[in-house]
Amino acid sequence: MKKTIVLLAFACGGLAVFAQKKTTTSATVSFDATTPLDALPKAENKTVIAAIDAKAGTVMFEALVKSFGFSNPMMQEHFNSPKWFDSEKNPKASFSGTITNPADVNFAKDGVYKAKIAGALTLKGITNDVNTDATIEVKGNMLSTTATFTVKLEDYKISNAGGKLAAEPTITVVADLK
Amino acid sequence: MNPGIKKNWIKKMLIIAAILLVAGVGFIWYLFSEKFDDTAKVKAEYSVPAAQLIQEFKTNLAEANKRYTEKIVAVTGRVTGIESADTTINIKMTDTTSGSYIIFAFQSQDMNTVKQIKEGDSISLKGSCSGGEYSNILEAHFINFKRCTIN
Repeated sequence: MKKTIVLLAFACGGLAVFAQKKTTTSATVSFDATTPLDALPKAENKTVIAAIDAKAGTVMFEALVKSFGFSNPMMQEHFNSPKWFDSEKNPKASFSGTITNPADVNFAKDGVYKAKIAGALTLKGITNDVNTDATIEVKGNMLSTTATFTVKLEDYKISNAGGKLAAEPTITVVADLK
Repeated sequence: MNPGIKKNWIKKMLIIAAILLVAGVGFIWYLFSEKFDDTAKVKAEYSVPAAQLIQEFKTNLAEANKRYTEKIVAVTGRVTGIESADTTINIKMTDTTSGSYIIFAFQSQDMNTVKQIKEGDSISLKGSCSGGEYSNILEAHFINFKRCTIN
């Protein structure tokens, strides 16, 4: 009986830990719209807010568009301009999704899992569906995640400047959550 | 027109056109190859304590964004958190009562200096303010800085 209670206590303790929402304010999101014609449209935002709710299976991101740092000042200005992401009117980019294969991800056991995530990405005030594969590494109380996907600029009413920009830039997300 | 004068005129025009072309190409080359200055060499437009900056964004987000966004701002305060982001390190200054915070992402050349900073240290740093917003995830205000350096 005593043993059962101890085991139950451990199990409940474990559930309480893994039921927590894991967050970070330092996720990195890279944006790469480079082409052979232009190597400049490439930026990184190192201060993205991310949250994974292990119990609900939800994944969320919030980023300030103006936090995307380019090496070239002119390119950074273009990125924020009304023709591109119009950061003055739409300062935030956000993603809200769910893990569609929750049975394949065991948040209670250390390991590396392949997750499928489906959600909605809002850029420039326009929301479109996004489906991506992600890697989630469970290590103790920490989650390390990476995901790479592409977005179509035309879905967000952004021109690719006659081929100078990639029509489908690559977005890479790296986040360590605790 | 005298043929000699005409020839001279054409020559002058060609020289002006060549100068304009070289200047134009030079200007475009400059725009595309330009890099942001090292923040350490840029004078801060504003110097403000962390608690005051957070308060300003909480009180009037639009006004604070107008004042600080895309400006080099010096901030003093106590480090409440150090977070790794991929290969970089970010410093946080949080208002513990509301959970609102400022987060500083550093220039790559400053990484070794940043590694010396510990939680609880009182520091002064400066960087380019990217503005602030309200986070629906954290239910608190956040202010982002990029290209930071220790002041």
